[in-house]
Amino acid sequence: MRLHGKRYVVLGAGAFLLIVGGLAANFGAFAHKAKHSPATLKAFDEVFMEQVRIGDLLFHGDPAMQEEFGVTLSKTGMACAMCHPMSADIHPHEFPKFQEQMNEFATLRDMTNWCIEKPNEGEKIDPNGGAMKALEAYMYWSNRGSKLDPGRH
Amino acid sequence: MSEIDRMRRHMDAELRKPGEHPDRSTRITRRTFLHKTFLTGTAVGAGSAAFGWLPLVNTIDMAFGATAQPFKFAWISDTHLYPKSVNTRFVDKAVRAFKEVQAMDPPADFLIFGGDLAQLGDPVELELGNQLLKEVKIKKVFIPGEHDWYLDMGKTWNKLFGQSPWRFDHKGVRIIGLDTVGSAPDYWSAKKMSPKERMDHMSVLDGTVAGAWSGLGNKQLQWLNDALADWPKGSPVIIFSHTPLYEYYPPWNFWVRDWREVHEIVRPYTSVTNIHGHVHQVLYNEIGTMRSIGMLATSWPWPYAPTGVPALTKPMVRVDPGDPFDGVGWGSLSFGAAERIENDYMMWRQDVLAESQVDSGTGDNVNQILSPRIADGMWPY
Repeated sequence: MRLHGKRYVVLGAGAFLLIVGGLAANFGAFAHKAKHSPATLKAFDEVFMEQVRIGDLLFHGDPAMQEEFGVTLSKTGMACAMCHPMSADIHPHEFPKFQEQMNEFATLRDMTNWCIEKPNEGEKIDPNGGAMKALEAYMYWSNRGSKLDPGRH
Repeated sequence: MSEIDRMRRHMDAELRKPGEHPDRSTRITRRTFLHKTFLTGTAVGAGSAAFGWLPLVNTIDMAFGATAQPFKFAWISDTHLYPKSVNTRFVDKAVRAFKEVQAMDPPADFLIFGGDLAQLGDPVELELGNQLLKEVKIKKVFIPGEHDWYLDMGKTWNKLFGQSPWRFDHKGVRIIGLDTVGSAPDYWSAKKMSPKERMDHMSVLDGTVAGAWSGLGNKQLQWLNDALADWPKGSPVIIFSHTPLYEYYPPWNFWVRDWREVHEIVRPYTSVTNIHGHVHQVLYNEIGTMRSIGMLATSWPWPYAPTGVPALTKPMVRVDPGDPFDGVGWGSLSFGAAERIENDYMMWRQDVLAESQVDSGTGDNVNQILSPRIADGMWPY
């Protein structure tokens, strides 16, 4: 009997939380629960594509965009796209993996900084900064549709 | 089906007729051996030692079914020189290639420079290249690349290196040099681009603004037709071009847009060899009666295109991005006494051609879908 009593208490508390949660959602406290309108999706896409566009410019060595972010991606005149047209041969979908040149387990951001520092003789950028996020957005976007295959050499 | 796939099928249907192929007296073998100039301890050997390298040569041997006399020539292209104040890396590699060509023993009959001497068409870059090329004392002939052209529309290039197209006969072979870069459709006037902006767009391989810039144009097609008109149909022809004379990958202008007309002109000739640059990679293809050989750059290697790599190509190795001397070099081609052509890829590394998929430059193409860039399409950004 005492166990039954506890079960009723637990069930009652659960039902109460569900009701409160539902009311909160109706009042917009949890926006991600709301249905997505075409306008919302368009806004999300615009945020993403703006990052892709910025990453595209950085990837192609645009001086103004580098200045805006305060980064120096190359000191040799080379841009990322000169070895990776359309971000070919980067295979972002195969990271993380053991990266031979670095002799360590690496993420795409690690490898991006390696390329900036070594072949391009530029200055390493903040791995969580805006320039890195935009570069990452561009590389993933331009490889979209490729099979996710982490660890592949 | 994508537009590229449609075009490729069209090319195959038009140009790969049943039973039609380049002269089958050609044999292709490949071997690797120590570079002769290193073994003989010439100046090249000393230069190589300074770099800490043993230069190794990878060779494609071809027997040429014609009456040509023995001779040898060298190919260098795609040096992409910057002013020395920006970058000496490409200068170092160009100098090395020039020294190795000059040290060839026996010497080459001539050097063909296959375009893209400069990176941004700057007269400073072109003049730098002109000075460096003085290292090579043998006869030199030139064809332009797009990087040499679109700052001043070829003015400096033509002044320093002469105009293209041209032709001459050498020991039984008709040799032709084409200009496949100077007839781009006008993408700059309507947008009021400065010469620098025009050049900047042209200099980006995956750019979308310059469009299908590679081609011969009607006037040069007529010239090519006339240049071959008096040549016996079974005698050897070599055509130098910066870009390949077939459709490999149009988004990167790995083609000429008027490949149909080119092949219509060369089709009656049974022994045509096109040697081209621009792709910065080992390539071999046969289309109709013409074979094509893609040559290395001295500057940096391009990855293979995601689609369209000719099935006859044995791909080069995946290169080490941390090694500026990997995946690059020059070429030496010999017409032997037994009517053979030897094409030596003078790549500055031990293994040139991939022996397994995991080491192949095309090995990962099966898992790579690429999209063209977008930011340059929003002109002016």
